[in-house]
Amino acid sequence: MGKTIDIIKKKREVPQEVKDNIKAFTKIKKQILKTLETEPKSVPQIAKEIDLAQDIVTYHLMTLQKFGSVEVDDIDDMDEYYLYKLKK
Amino acid sequence: MSKSEEYDVLVIGGGISGVEASLNLANQGHKVLVVEKDLSVGGKMIHLSKVFPTLDCSACITTPKVSEAARHSNITIYTYSQVNDIDKKAEHDFRASITKFPRYVDEESCTGCQVCEDKCPVVVQDQYQYDLVGRKAAYVPFSIANPRIAAIDIENCSLCGACERACPADCIDFTQEKQDIEIKVKSVIVATGFKLFDPTLIPRYGFGLFKNVVTSMQMERQLVPTRPFNNVLRPKDGKMPDNIAYVLCAGSRDETVGNPICSQVCCMYSIKQAQLLLGALPMADVTIYYLNIRSFGKGFNEFYQQAKDMGVTFVKGKIGKVEELEGGDLKLRYEDIEQGVVKEANHDMVVLSVGILANDGVTSLFKQNLELDQFNYVNQKDLLANPAQTNIGGVYVAGTASGPMDIPDSILSAGAASSETAGYLRGGNHEK
Ligand SMILES: Cc1cc2nc3c(=O)[nH]c(=O)nc-3n(C[C@H](O)[C@H](O)[C@H](O)COP(=O)(O)OP(=O)(O)OC[C@H]3O[C@@H](n4cnc5c(N)ncnc54)[C@H](O)[C@@H]3O)c2cc1C
Ligand code: SF4
Repeated sequence: MGKTIDIIKKKREVPQEVKDNIKAFTKIKKQILKTLETEPKSVPQIAKEIDLAQDIVTYHLMTLQKFGSVEVDDIDDMDEYYLYKLKK
Repeated sequence: MSKSEEYDVLVIGGGISGVEASLNLANQGHKVLVVEKDLSVGGKMIHLSKVFPTLDCSACITTPKVSEAARHSNITIYTYSQVNDIDKKAEHDFRASITKFPRYVDEESCTGCQVCEDKCPVVVQDQYQYDLVGRKAAYVPFSIANPRIAAIDIENCSLCGACERACPADCIDFTQEKQDIEIKVKSVIVATGFKLFDPTLIPRYGFGLFKNVVTSMQMERQLVPTRPFNNVLRPKDGKMPDNIAYVLCAGSRDETVGNPICSQVCCMYSIKQAQLLLGALPMADVTIYYLNIRSFGKGFNEFYQQAKDMGVTFVKGKIGKVEELEGGDLKLRYEDIEQGVVKEANHDMVVLSVGILANDGVTSLFKQNLELDQFNYVNQKDLLANPAQTNIGGVYVAGTASGPMDIPDSILSAGAASSETAGYLRGGNHEK
């Protein structure tokens, strides 16, 4: 069966913002997942390692958790920050 | 191409008030059309955690009701649709035009399996989690959405086609167009609900600038099992908060933001959230800054007392300013009303108990000019005798479309709207 995506592609342009947004998300996703390869980490630890604002890391990390590439590990010794790890 | 349909009643808005009114009328044998602008019915209530004063699970009450409405043989629901205009031709004869927007997903065959969501490469802020986390451009709105089927957010779609290739039910259809429908009904119920106050209009509270200042709706989401994070956490750095402040009347009883009236629910939902927070974070302190606590309903004062007994601190204080400290904590400057002095207090998270405002755009739908009250809610022409009656014969109002109110009062109001509508349909004396 023919795919309807080809029909809409003739009628609609993808805005540059949408393309930029995908690139930006994918870049941060890769950076976050890479920091977690060695050991579970908290938001401040990840933010420091990749030099990114903590709130941006929180948003992306929680989104990765929602879509199943990251999961929660333990909480730190002070009971303040959760550590997150790659989901096997 | 436009088609035409006939029903007894058009209900505008599928929140708890619209759904309740529809069920009442449908159970009496009337044919009802519900037009909901969102992708799901359920309104705000479907997104709440537990409800005051009983602490019943909100979803557990909403979900069976919306599914009953969705399955009811006398109820038709159009989600992601809008009413463009309504013209009263004569008593019991209203003509309306409706537009159904394309979801780009076949509603009948989608199973809600979320395979499309998995394949979609686009991530944007999830409006159903009040922007705390992301969602895809191909997405099932939320887990208890009704209908629980996917939609493509075409504005953010990259047109990669991955969803269409992956969908096992073959139901993604990018050829869908908007559909215009002409309807004829005998009566109309306006149940368009409320909108939330936008806290960026009070810049001194720092919302948007300081990430650990959140709205009560964001906190509501943090307290449900389908929460955006793995626990209640600060959006800035993922820390578990242990000293949370509530700022009541954020955007209510405030002439400077054009909303001088009380929102009726903020005191109580804040007291509720404080209790739930003490359950979720047993080590946390919760302080509620208030002007007056309005706990006038059945069981409300006991609920307030219960929060005090659990250790929630209440401070009669007017917040001047919120500042961010290093590390993300927040300093509140406030006037201690009882002592008449200005004080400061530090907290690690601040919740703004945002108020309720009238939804715009309802009046312009009606050719006969639906009257609003001075606060832009639908005017109740005969408040004491026929509380649901508007200025147009055959048009009734249900729930928060007529003013701020909680869920029990919305249900009562929907009851009044459905019985007044039924009276009108029987040719009763509500026609003037
Ligand atoms: C943070 C928070 C917590 C709360 N907690 C509690 C609680 O614990 N207990 C309690 O009793 N109450 C609580 N409330 C109040 C409760 O949310 C309301 O009483 C209830 O949701 C009102 O329902 P409604 O159907 O009148 O309005 P809404 O929930 O606003 O529903 C209106 C519906 O109409 C749709 N709509 C709007 N305009 C149009 C249009 N033009 N065309 C088609 N559709 C349209 C909307 O999309 C929506 O689905 C809380 C409120 C807030 C903000
Ligand atoms: S559109 Fe297809 S892939 Fe997406 S949820 Fe529906 S059935 Fe599943």
